[in-house]
Amino acid sequence: MLRFIGKRLWHGGLTLAALVTLTFFVMRLAPGGPFSRNRKISPEVQANIEAAFHLDEPLWMQFGRFVWGVLRWDLGPSTKHRDYSVNDLIASGLPYSLTIGFWAIVIAALVGIALGMAGALRRNSVPDYLAGTVGVVGIAVPIFVIGPLFQAFFSLRLGWFPVGGVNDGARSLILPVIVLALPNIAYISRLTRTSMIETLRENHVRTARAKGVGWRRVLTSHVLTGALLPVIAYLGPATAAIITGSILIETMFAVPGIGRHFVDAALNRDYPLVMGITLLYGGLLILFNIGTDVIRAILDPRIRNER
Amino acid sequence: MGCVTPLTQMTAEPLLSLQDLTVRFRLPQGETVAVDGVSLDLAPGEVLGIVGESGSGKSQILYALMGLLASNGRAGGRALFQGQDLLALTEAQLDRVRGQDISMIFQDPMTSLNPYTRVVDQLAEGLIVHKGLSRADARAEGVRMLDRVRIPDAARRARLYPHEFSGGMRQRVMIAMALLARPKLLLADEPTTALDVTIQAQVLDLMAELGRETGTAIVLVTHDLGVVARLCDRVAVLYGGRVMEEAKAEALFDTPSHPYTRGLLAAMPRLESPLTPRLGTIPGTPRSGGGDLPGCPFAARCTERLDHCTTTRPVLQSTAPDRRSACHLIEAAT
Repeated sequence: MLRFIGKRLWHGGLTLAALVTLTFFVMRLAPGGPFSRNRKISPEVQANIEAAFHLDEPLWMQFGRFVWGVLRWDLGPSTKHRDYSVNDLIASGLPYSLTIGFWAIVIAALVGIALGMAGALRRNSVPDYLAGTVGVVGIAVPIFVIGPLFQAFFSLRLGWFPVGGVNDGARSLILPVIVLALPNIAYISRLTRTSMIETLRENHVRTARAKGVGWRRVLTSHVLTGALLPVIAYLGPATAAIITGSILIETMFAVPGIGRHFVDAALNRDYPLVMGITLLYGGLLILFNIGTDVIRAILDPRIRNER
Repeated sequence: MGCVTPLTQMTAEPLLSLQDLTVRFRLPQGETVAVDGVSLDLAPGEVLGIVGESGSGKSQILYALMGLLASNGRAGGRALFQGQDLLALTEAQLDRVRGQDISMIFQDPMTSLNPYTRVVDQLAEGLIVHKGLSRADARAEGVRMLDRVRIPDAARRARLYPHEFSGGMRQRVMIAMALLARPKLLLADEPTTALDVTIQAQVLDLMAELGRETGTAIVLVTHDLGVVARLCDRVAVLYGGRVMEEAKAEALFDTPSHPYTRGLLAAMPRLESPLTPRLGTIPGTPRSGGGDLPGCPFAARCTERLDHCTTTRPVLQSTAPDRRSACHLIEAAT
């Protein structure tokens, strides 16, 4: 098992290195730079600013500087947000995104799996149709429609939660968490239902029933593992995506997370911030993928024995 | 029912008695009959073969007994096991019979074992649940049984997962699992169809041998007449969900009385017969499913068809001691 994890980590590191290198150079290929503005600045000032950020150096030196910085856990100063380093920006935004994302994925997993299982076990029953409806609505209706609707109803009409911001403690995070969880509840419940129905049809489940060990035991020790494997595979990347923040959610609910930096940094050609965000998202994605691989390998011996 | 004469003249109470068993499936295009009024008796310790082509309903008989029919399937009639009607039991009551008094071995050993659980734990599960053994005792018992089905190095292999076993070994694991509880009845659904020809015989002999040792009666469903000849005391030939002919194994092979049985035997290669360029075939395609039929299901393919074969249902009746046949030709001859 340790060898398995070691190998996955090694591959993950390689992937991350490739991702970061590619991002670094592709970003430089795009026309424009952090300080090319419509506003006219004198060439001397421009040169001074660029020298301050080492943008006058050859590309390979800048890349070396970036790699050296990463190794020292320093991503450099942001070119857009003056007086802030990329480390500061991520450190200030990540806790909000992490909190919202964590609860969203926990709720999505629990509710989604429960709905999916209920649907699979009682096919074409009321809970199944209910889960199906929630699923279709959750997948089809975009967040930017559900979000404002929830704000209008739960915040403005009922006054249960604040419309936005993070000044109200946990209460202010409830709406963003729910809105972020909804599409995932929908997707996870569909996935669970399909995979569970498939597993219930498998021959080894029939063998278990033939052993007469009781329906409950058939479910817990013969159906559940197989039914949840695809769900776990989905949860890995989904968790990485969700906890690195959603720009829509954070904009809608005025949450100072890091989701908004994803788009802003690229638009502003804020090179250090783009690299920081790439590193963070790529790293998390790879880590969670390794995590799901490990869990799947624990549950399924056939994955464990792959080479 | 009055004309159905039971074949077994044994004084002992039959272990299993199927009385007019039917299995029907609801399909979008209507109801289809898979098993159409099958009546068979099985004595304790006896080996009964049920042969028929694909779709003749032979496997569904076993599924009906085990309460494992697909959700759109429904069983009718009675299936008395030690006097208790299996079809009338609830799922929970059935769980006190399944895996204890009746075990089942399935067709495809590659997919019939749980891929996520160690082999020994799958063996032990039944003992823990039914007999209340401790985990350690149940595992030891499981290893002992693996050894008896001749898995080499059983103690080590028991801790492996099914995918680390070959097909033949997996089917031996299934046999071990089925016989672990020393059931009175073993239902085997084409247990060797998915295996290499070279190990089919091994697996069958093993099953029969252990069955004899534990005094277990076996219902062996197969389309392989060679398998029947090797193992079975008695054979029922099934076609279109009905019993065409039933006889002691030797008698059936020596003097098949039903045209369908004769066709089946002609389609089987034999060592003693001269090598012909082609094996015999039965013309037409096997009937499978469909609604109720007034006449004999085999009539459409029968070369010796009489006029009333398609309109009147031939009754399964005694033609000789230990023999039953459902054919108007035989009725006409007697």
